[in-house]
Amino acid sequence: MKVSYSWLSKLVDLSSTTPEQLADKFTFAGAEVEGISFLASGTNLTIGHILSCDAHPDSDHLHILQVDEGQYGVHQIVCGAPNARKGLKVIVAREGAKLPGGEIKPATIRGVASDGMCCSLLELGVDPKSLSDYQKSGIEELPVDAPIGTDDVLGYLGLNDAIIDLDLLPNRPDLYAINNVAREAACLLDKKVNIASPKDLPHVKEEFVVGSKTSKCPLFSARVYRNVKNGPSPKWLKDILLAEGLRSIDKIVDIGNYVMLLTGQPLNMYDLDKLEKKELIVRDDLQGEFLAMDGNSYNLVPGDLVVTSNGKVACLAGIMTADGAKIDENTRNIVVEAAYFDYASIRHTSNRIGLSSDSSSRFCKGINPHQSEYVQEVVAELLGSLCEVKESSATYAYDTLDHSPKLIKTSLRYLNGRLGTSFSEEEILSVLARDNMKLLEDENGNYTFQIPSFRIDMDGEADLSEEVIRILGYSNVVSKLPYSELALTGLTESQQKERDIKKFLLSSGISEVLTYTLVSKKDDEEFKILNKDEPYALLNPMSEDREVVRTNLMHSLLESLSYNVNHQNADVLFFESSDIDSPSYKGRHLAVALTGLVKEQGRLSAHAADFYDVKGLLEGIMDILGLGYNRIQVVPWSLGGEELHPGRSAEIVMGKKLLGYLGELHPLALKKYGLNNAAVMELDLSALLAMKVSPVKASIPAKFPYVTRDLAFLVNKEVTFEAIAKELKKADKLITSVEVFDIYTGKGIVPGKKSMAIKLTLLDETKTLTDAETEAAMKKAILTLATKFGAEIRG
Amino acid sequence: MLDLIELAGLTSKKAKEELSLLNDQTGLDAFYAKYLSKKGEIRMLLSHMKEVVAEKKKEAGEAVNKAMGEVSAAYEQKRAKLETEKLAKRLEEEKIDITLPGRKLTTGRINPYYQIIDEVTDIFLEMGYEVVEGRDVETDHFNFELLNVPKDHPSRDMQDTFYISDELLLRTQTSAAQAHTMCERSANPRPIRMICPGKAYRRDDDDMTHSHQFAQIEGLVVDKNISIANLKATLELFVKKMFGEKREIRLRSSYFPFTEPSVEVDVSCFKCGGKGCATCKDTGWIEILGAGMVNPKVLQSCGYDPKQWSGFAFGVGVERVAMLRYGVDDIRRFYTNDTRFLKDYSGK
Repeated sequence: MKVSYSWLSKLVDLSSTTPEQLADKFTFAGAEVEGISFLASGTNLTIGHILSCDAHPDSDHLHILQVDEGQYGVHQIVCGAPNARKGLKVIVAREGAKLPGGEIKPATIRGVASDGMCCSLLELGVDPKSLSDYQKSGIEELPVDAPIGTDDVLGYLGLNDAIIDLDLLPNRPDLYAINNVAREAACLLDKKVNIASPKDLPHVKEEFVVGSKTSKCPLFSARVYRNVKNGPSPKWLKDILLAEGLRSIDKIVDIGNYVMLLTGQPLNMYDLDKLEKKELIVRDDLQGEFLAMDGNSYNLVPGDLVVTSNGKVACLAGIMTADGAKIDENTRNIVVEAAYFDYASIRHTSNRIGLSSDSSSRFCKGINPHQSEYVQEVVAELLGSLCEVKESSATYAYDTLDHSPKLIKTSLRYLNGRLGTSFSEEEILSVLARDNMKLLEDENGNYTFQIPSFRIDMDGEADLSEEVIRILGYSNVVSKLPYSELALTGLTESQQKERDIKKFLLSSGISEVLTYTLVSKKDDEEFKILNKDEPYALLNPMSEDREVVRTNLMHSLLESLSYNVNHQNADVLFFESSDIDSPSYKGRHLAVALTGLVKEQGRLSAHAADFYDVKGLLEGIMDILGLGYNRIQVVPWSLGGEELHPGRSAEIVMGKKLLGYLGELHPLALKKYGLNNAAVMELDLSALLAMKVSPVKASIPAKFPYVTRDLAFLVNKEVTFEAIAKELKKADKLITSVEVFDIYTGKGIVPGKKSMAIKLTLLDETKTLTDAETEAAMKKAILTLATKFGAEIRG
Repeated sequence: MLDLIELAGLTSKKAKEELSLLNDQTGLDAFYAKYLSKKGEIRMLLSHMKEVVAEKKKEAGEAVNKAMGEVSAAYEQKRAKLETEKLAKRLEEEKIDITLPGRKLTTGRINPYYQIIDEVTDIFLEMGYEVVEGRDVETDHFNFELLNVPKDHPSRDMQDTFYISDELLLRTQTSAAQAHTMCERSANPRPIRMICPGKAYRRDDDDMTHSHQFAQIEGLVVDKNISIANLKATLELFVKKMFGEKREIRLRSSYFPFTEPSVEVDVSCFKCGGKGCATCKDTGWIEILGAGMVNPKVLQSCGYDPKQWSGFAFGVGVERVAMLRYGVDDIRRFYTNDTRFLKDYSGK
């Protein structure tokens, strides 16, 4: 809301303040000031009279002017404006003048001395939107009676106004009315507001009917005026509209806009003689084409609020008048409407057809429904004084609203308690009185206040507490920490474990990243492995790229990898954990994706990220979760697809439940994401975190020494280490651990075979092992290797 | 007949000469065997004692002992010298280029977004708050209705929402989790101190300062007799811990549907200390938090009787704090994850 400081100063005494100070007060009291602007600016300005105008000898468009600047003497000015001519009165920026574009200094222009500048309004910083093309093309032409040599050019032009731009929040729609801004200013400055009661015109009898056939219009009032003399508005009215950023049209339209700005009540004006019948009836059951006064047609559907006359739409309620009912230069008799329409209905229609106006935006924000008669009287007075209207009809009103004042009960104790303050009764009552809250009852500190009708936001005593403190200021609140009973809080076990997992991944060299939840439908099809649900699709996406809520994480992470690889960051190790929501799935996933090198000592010791990197991370995570391979199995990939390398990937399962996967990307997927290598893992973290873990028991070191023996053998390539280890542990109870320390294929090894070297640890918890016992166990081990796996022992 | 005394002197002299020419362990070992071992030349001199006349025996014995002592000492000296040289040589040989990269697993780097979330979370954990994250997909009921934003409320203009269906949406604020917590506990209302860090979504076009996805941390305290003074003290504590001991706050009246009164909280600029700089746009203050007293209607609809209970709530934008603190120029950087942007952001 733009507030003209000069208009405001007519309604409240601003002599003790400045625009900046007032802006600060507004801001701290809840109406944030976005900025203060000036309609125009410039120092060292005066008005001059062009005594002579000669062509510049060295230019085809410059003029040499002799300008009489009254008390400042006659100066020679070189001017390029096409409309510069002898006899014209112009704005002169004298030597040292500071204009929005810079400072004016004496100069020599193509060999001719120039002392000052003749100005256009553009050069004084006036908004081009409020200027005609002619004004923009040359210097400003002032009236013949303009005072030569004056120091108050901006004042003379009506451009010395400051505009305070209020960025209003939804709780203060009342401040879209200058009347109420003045009340607010008066309250904050502790001054009296000067809002005069309107002088109504004498009433005359008319035949007119108003009505509403829908609850969405509970109030509709109208007056009829005859013999309205339209024409250009007077300067004071034009100046106010200009300051408020509106164009002056003609008296009738300008009065409507002025009253809307003053009172916050949108008005609608009809040409009485264009109405089908002397009636205006609000309905919401019509449909069809509607030709608005902006010249465009809009399609109406049942539910749209319309004002009709004899069944014909005269106005799209609260939004725009029909072309067929609008005021024009021939209008003599008018109907003035002040109504209250349901804001939701106005908003729906306005949004649906894509048409809004100052009027509709005020209805959408909420207006005061209790002032229609006051507003009608203000209009009557202005029509009387500006348009020579002598009489008004009475107000025809359809009104089902309850206009009884709103009452709120509160107490001194409540107000101070909620604020944590110790204001005296006197302080609180005086500040609420300034705020137009009328004290009706006071029984030992229990108050009943009558709320002013324009404060439609107020509906409880909490609101009163806000009024007190926003006006007195939050600096009056003395900080005091809350007192509370001790309670067990902190992170839950799952939250703590997730934090530990993140720390582990970070200390393992993996960086934590953040990607968007919304993805395209197509992208959501990628790596749809853990959660196969259909994604939630947005009803109102902003683009195809962000239309569904992702069901898995891997694609987003791989896109981050691609982005980096395309930006010369080749070695990228990323993880992310994020909630996953879909219609039948609520979980949390953790995904890891590695590409390029895993560096242990820069490039001196580095290897391409592979399966075993992510498997190592999985093992670390399982340790943190307290889960072992007895609970969770890592089994060969069986799910097919072109996303994971079938021979270098694994499923993480518990029984039949898939808890995650890990592996290297399929060559086709690598190609798709533009990567050379990638090892990835995605876990259903919520499922893993939810798994019950048995209590931790201490492991007691064995009392007796263990024995180790190495075995090397040839075995078929497909035989897994895990299978061997499992069988060997079954072969003899002395074998407690099997570790692999070498795998070799290639030169000297039969194709299809591999050489494997393992270290067995043998231990008897009850006594020291004898050589004979060790040898017996080793024989069983060798036999097992030979019979179960066809192994050829090499040593 | 050979003079044993003279012989001892000659042997000693010869041995020392030989020793001086030696420069390795093998030679030294051979030398030891030749002169100093049980069968070495010096001890062997004693085998000639019986040939020495009685009156000269004592003198001869002393001469042999003297030779033994001299050669042993020289040998020890030489041995020590060779050992020192060998060690020096080994050390020289083992010299490495200490400028090569260290062997380590580089620590993963983080997005500053997580740094802010973790820091804020830790501060409130220390103050005895619990952490409730809530879900991204929410119902209209929890995201709006319970928080005093009924359908068609003008303030819904402020938060243009991603809808999934009439009832389901992407949450526009993490306060939805607060409504859940209050409702869950309403059967047996007890004090609440919680924060909800998490993602939220609004239909904003992505540009340098706007993002359709962003993170918030919202806090809620519900208890008996909670006041603005409690809110102010809590936020002061938070701000000092987060932005430095010298930071101050000031409150400006504002509006949020779920609080009444509502305030915007400015923090004295942590870049310039309040003198005025580019970060605070020369005002000395930075708008960081929104806060207020929980609207009684919200308490009521979530099952806490506003006649008995009161509370305060606050919210802070994660990316905004990160952008101000670390000088991040574009909010989209948080979501692009360029590895050059990720680093250890734990320093203040």
